[in-house]
Amino acid sequence: MAEYSCLIVEDSPMMRQLLVFALARVRNLRVTEADDGVDGLRKLASARYDIIVTDINMPIMDGLKLVKRVRSDPVHKDTPIVIITTEGSQEDRQRALQLGANAYITKPIQAPQVIATVKELLKIE
Amino acid sequence: MTKDKRSRGTGSDAPGPDLKTERDEFLKKFSRGSQLTEEFLKEHERMLSRVQDLESENAGLRAKVEADRAVRELLQKIDRLEREKSELISRYREAEAITTEFTARVQEVESEFANLANLFVASNQLHSSLSPRGVTRRIKEVLAQLVGAERYAMYLVNPDREELVPIASEGVPGDQLLPIRIVGTRIGEVLKKGSASVADSDPSQGTLQDPPAVIPLSVDDRVVGTIAIFSTLAQKNKFDTVDFELFKLLGQHAAQALVAASLFAQAEHKLPGLEAFLDLSV
Repeated sequence: MAEYSCLIVEDSPMMRQLLVFALARVRNLRVTEADDGVDGLRKLASARYDIIVTDINMPIMDGLKLVKRVRSDPVHKDTPIVIITTEGSQEDRQRALQLGANAYITKPIQAPQVIATVKELLKIE
Repeated sequence: MTKDKRSRGTGSDAPGPDLKTERDEFLKKFSRGSQLTEEFLKEHERMLSRVQDLESENAGLRAKVEADRAVRELLQKIDRLEREKSELISRYREAEAITTEFTARVQEVESEFANLANLFVASNQLHSSLSPRGVTRRIKEVLAQLVGAERYAMYLVNPDREELVPIASEGVPGDQLLPIRIVGTRIGEVLKKGSASVADSDPSQGTLQDPPAVIPLSVDDRVVGTIAIFSTLAQKNKFDTVDFELFKLLGQHAAQALVAASLFAQAEHKLPGLEAFLDLSV
């Protein structure tokens, strides 16, 4: 059975823990955590990931900058990206999707929604 | 004897009257015989034709009987297949009902799991710091990230229990963040009663004057403060079951974590000596 790897980029330890718990429900998904955008890029440079789940509001490098950088990286330019944010407006959603994000989830997150989104993007039954 | 009569009757070669009569009778009889034979032959032919017709009709009837039998067998087969089909449909529906029930149960379990994960993470975070600032930050994070609160404040009661003093807040302008009288205010009433007050209305439309949720904070069965949620994020338009569980958890753990962190800070981060635990008599 295929194995998948996911990179969670989130500055809040609580949210990271919650996402790890949620994504542990996806079979054969290995999860790696990064504290912010810069840490995320560092981890992306050293390994290949099948999906990235990132917060938008983070110190040092925010989620939107990370999306831009990932889309210009030849290795990860096609890697699905899920944006998680407190902003729920249609404009914010459009902006994130235009930058290259594949899905947009608003806080407070619901674990079943995160699981369903990740499974859909990875095409897991 | 006939010859005798002929010779005696006329006395010449011509037949006598008796013989003539006899001949005529014979010819009549012959003609009649011939006619009867013809009629008999015709009748025979008619009978033959009739036999052929009957045989043909019989063959047709036989074929019909055979066909009827085949039809009866087919009908029986159709009946049997219909019964089998009904049984299969019934079994399929049963299986479908079981699958639907199972899917609903799985979703319920997944939802419960997600709720428990939220509660575990919140509890874990509240007790993962021993600095008052760290605990406060985590309480705010639980409110913002897990509940979806946008504007909120945490109050502690003053020593004479007349006012609630704000100690932390988010999204509330400083000039509006004032101590609140316990008597005559909704936030104060929650402190007095010790039970949460949650409105049924859309919490994203809440105001500072009418907070959609007020949660009492307890330490060892004493209510020492409150958390007031003035409004939630726009996309959070109702409180769910897990939110009520989170309110309970915050009510029971937030103030305790805060008090523990304050005492630890006052003790200059010194851990109690072993003697503090020896007399527990457990």
